[in-house]
Amino acid sequence: MIRVEHLSARQGAFKLEDISFEVPEGSWGVVIGPAGSGKTTLLETIAGIVPAARGRVFAAGREVTTAPISARSVGLVYQHAYLFPHLRVGENVAYGAATQTLPSTLLARFGIEALIERRVASLSGGERQLVALVRALAQQPRVLLLDEPFSALDPKRRNATRRLVRDLHREWGITILQVTHDFAEAGLLGDVTVLLDAGRMLQAGPTAEVFQKPASPYVAEFLGAENVLAGTVTGDPVGGGGSRSVVFTCGALAVHAVSDVPDGPAHAVIRGEEVTLSREHQASSARNHFAGTVTDVDPHGPWARVTVDVGGVPIVAMLTNSSVSELGLTNGESIRVAFKAFAVHLC
Amino acid sequence: MTSSPAPSDTIGRGVRRVLAATFASLLLVVLLLPVGALLARGGTGGVLGLLHDNELRASLALTAITATLATLVGVVLGTPLAYLLARRSFRGRALVAGALDLPLLIPHPVAGIALLLVFGRESTIGQVLGTFGLRVVGSSAGIVLAMLFVSAPLFVSGAREAFARVDPRYEAVAQTLGDTPWRALRRVTFPLAFRGLLASAVVMWARAVSEFGAIVILVHTPRTVSVLSYDRFTTYGLNEVVPVAAALVVLALVPLVLLRALRSDDTGGRSVTA
Repeated sequence: MIRVEHLSARQGAFKLEDISFEVPEGSWGVVIGPAGSGKTTLLETIAGIVPAARGRVFAAGREVTTAPISARSVGLVYQHAYLFPHLRVGENVAYGAATQTLPSTLLARFGIEALIERRVASLSGGERQLVALVRALAQQPRVLLLDEPFSALDPKRRNATRRLVRDLHREWGITILQVTHDFAEAGLLGDVTVLLDAGRMLQAGPTAEVFQKPASPYVAEFLGAENVLAGTVTGDPVGGGGSRSVVFTCGALAVHAVSDVPDGPAHAVIRGEEVTLSREHQASSARNHFAGTVTDVDPHGPWARVTVDVGGVPIVAMLTNSSVSELGLTNGESIRVAFKAFAVHLC
Repeated sequence: MTSSPAPSDTIGRGVRRVLAATFASLLLVVLLLPVGALLARGGTGGVLGLLHDNELRASLALTAITATLATLVGVVLGTPLAYLLARRSFRGRALVAGALDLPLLIPHPVAGIALLLVFGRESTIGQVLGTFGLRVVGSSAGIVLAMLFVSAPLFVSGAREAFARVDPRYEAVAQTLGDTPWRALRRVTFPLAFRGLLASAVVMWARAVSEFGAIVILVHTPRTVSVLSYDRFTTYGLNEVVPVAAALVVLALVPLVLLRALRSDDTGGRSVTA
């Protein structure tokens, strides 16, 4: 378990302020934020390298706010590996290992046993990251902090390494907190997501919730939500609080949604993959149906980003390239747009 | 389309190169010519002198031993200070760093006078040491003290840079792997800073060997090579001093060669980072 409560820390001129979140025992948390948002400082404060100015840190089931680094049972892998250059790979991996045999077992499991006699200076960036991962895992930490540990690996190796770390995470029940820039990685691995910006926490919670229900338009845009619309909420009052059926108005567009936000100005977030396009009106459970005109088709790898003008409001849909081909979408064509009321997140 | 430089640019560049080469050569001549002349004239005499001249031999041994002792003391006392200055920020840090530069800035005979004031027979410390049968003035201990005073700041300054070049995250990682701070320092930081520390110790030793001003105020006899060469020059003239001076130059060349060897190493002079 990793828990921080109202954590503040200072590193030079940079300040990390009032961070609170919890990664339950045996779970995988991800920290996302732009460069300079304090992601590494957060990991270093949990590890005890940067002292906490305020607040409390819990790791592996106990409070470690003022505990020495070596007494925290917290492993740390930096993006730049920090392998000891005066030691060979085998000596690096054996440094702090829980058992004598674990280093060689892990080196074999990660497929890098051939590196054991190599000098650190002769390793590539990717090899260094793998060795640093194995070195941290070889001590069998209860908590492992990973600062972009896969960034120097090629895509194939990255996937394989993610799987291996995930397997060990499950086998050993390690609680992991990982810094990443990769939203796909966050969605794939993270049980809990923490969003940081300029030393402050924007949002923290279960990953699906953070991605589907961003706390603010800024978070939505940061997380790559394709549609963030500004408008006004109106709806019937409901007794006892909780969600209600509302209408969100943005220009000529009136969108049905289910939300607990009060009447008044708000933002609607609709992820592009929740928007469907069709030639004809199709009966479905989706409450929002609009007629529009295709204004842009922009392929992105296996996906295409299709922009449709709906009464002067651009709505973006993310479709597979094959769907775009089947629909024969070209600019200026009329198209039907649909999405469910539950796909609209108001904030 | 590519443009070729105007002829005036080419001429200007050529003139600048010739001027730079001339200035560099002049400086090298000023630096190397006297040492070369000394070795050429007294090199053989210096070596032969070592065979026949007992006083020179004893003086060389005394210089080497006292410089080594001063360096050992400087390393033992200076390493923790250098580490603190490189790694920690504390109240008065700038003052301590400034105080360390002081012995390098004041004229060395003045340093000798200052040491005499504190450790002379009439001083309180000198009297306390005297009750234990120890004296600084006119003894090898005085030579070590004078050498330490003028050369230890060089070690601390070099060692501080050697520690600063090692990224502190190595120590942090070692501690996440279970090391205590002291163990991480011993297993990671010291090995990574070792060549820088050794180079700083060599510089200190070389500076101690060549010290004259502070030593001659505190200790005239026993005589280090620098004091002996001065004595022979003032007593017997230039011819007599040349072999002694040449021997001192040869002694000074030892650390120079060592330094070159250390700096040609992979990590020498560069930051140790990931």
